[in-house]
Amino acid sequence: MRNTYLWLLQLVTGGIIVVLLGAHLITQYPDGILVVTQRLDTTLKLFGIAGADTTTWASTIHRARQGIAAGLYLALVAVVLYHGLNGLRGIALEVTASAATARVITYALMAIGTILFSAILVSRLLY
Amino acid sequence: MTNNSNQQIIFKVHRYDPERDNTPHFQEYAVPLSRGATVLDGLIYIKENLDSTLAFRSSCRMYVCGSCGMVINHYPRLACHTQITELNAKRLTIQPLRNFPTIKDLVPDMNSLFHNHQSIKPYLLRHDTEEMQNPRAEFTQLPKELNDFLQFSYCVKCGICLTACPTMATDKLFLGPQALAQCYRYCADNRDEGDKERFPLVSGEHGVWNCHLSGACSESCPKGVDPALAIQLLKRRLISRSLGLAKKRQPASVVSPPTTTKPIIPFPEFNVKTVADR
Repeated sequence: MRNTYLWLLQLVTGGIIVVLLGAHLITQYPDGILVVTQRLDTTLKLFGIAGADTTTWASTIHRARQGIAAGLYLALVAVVLYHGLNGLRGIALEVTASAATARVITYALMAIGTILFSAILVSRLLY
Repeated sequence: MTNNSNQQIIFKVHRYDPERDNTPHFQEYAVPLSRGATVLDGLIYIKENLDSTLAFRSSCRMYVCGSCGMVINHYPRLACHTQITELNAKRLTIQPLRNFPTIKDLVPDMNSLFHNHQSIKPYLLRHDTEEMQNPRAEFTQLPKELNDFLQFSYCVKCGICLTACPTMATDKLFLGPQALAQCYRYCADNRDEGDKERFPLVSGEHGVWNCHLSGACSESCPKGVDPALAIQLLKRRLISRSLGLAKKRQPASVVSPPTTTKPIIPFPEFNVKTVADR
């Protein structure tokens, strides 16, 4: 039943990506959205995000260091890494008939995901 | 096949004899067209009148046996269920089922289908082994309970869904829509208790989670089985079982045979005379 749990996690992370990626897009490109609604502007201010300067380097780094936004970015990285790498694993296993090769692919992708997330987490802590 | 007109149609047939040919090739035959003729009628006409070496499978000629599955004008169909005129073409290209090795001409090797079908244990699995070994009576099943799986029991194992399935083309170890649909057919049967025996296989590396829901199996199925629906229901069943959300269901009980029966209309008494009585 392991594959059932992996697939369930794929569905859950897919749903989370829709939410987090949507929030990320809104914060990165707010002008078009803010023209549409005032309430979104209020919501963004709750997260400490101002209006027009969200796409500058300084404002992006400042936002990434704040508690809530930093947590959301890390969560987005985690779910994207799992969702993407598990999807790659599914594609690779479809064209592989050998159980041994399938195990190698699985462990390699797990290692890549762990290394990437660790690198991002360390860079977030250090800088 | 009676020839009611001078019209002819060209059958471009895939030919391959492993004892003589290195590679497959096509051979064309002019077949007289008559109203109501099926592709199978055309192939039989070729075999009886033009080329007796042509090899193909057929049996019932009324689309209940699943023997005559083949790719007709690039789409998998049952030859006995395909009217020549419905294809609206002057030339028919006939090929064996894809995703199966070809034994000869239009005859595919169906062993992989039968092996996958057998692997999902396509029979009732129950814990009351005594009743299974020595059945006393029948199991109860309401009409609603029968409807839960009835359409999936219409499968004739023709292999057309496996030909249409894009995952079968890439993953040679994929169980396939036929086996997965039949797995659900038995899991949904209220007389069955075999979920635990079947789930490890169908939730494995080449099982139900490799299905990408293209729906080609359901579109091509000649019996309306809708294997894609069965696969989705099987996925739902697997997830609900894994999360512990599945409804507890008692398997069907055995119905005791009637001890006394009373006819609605009184049946007259009669005596059977034997030869000795006369």
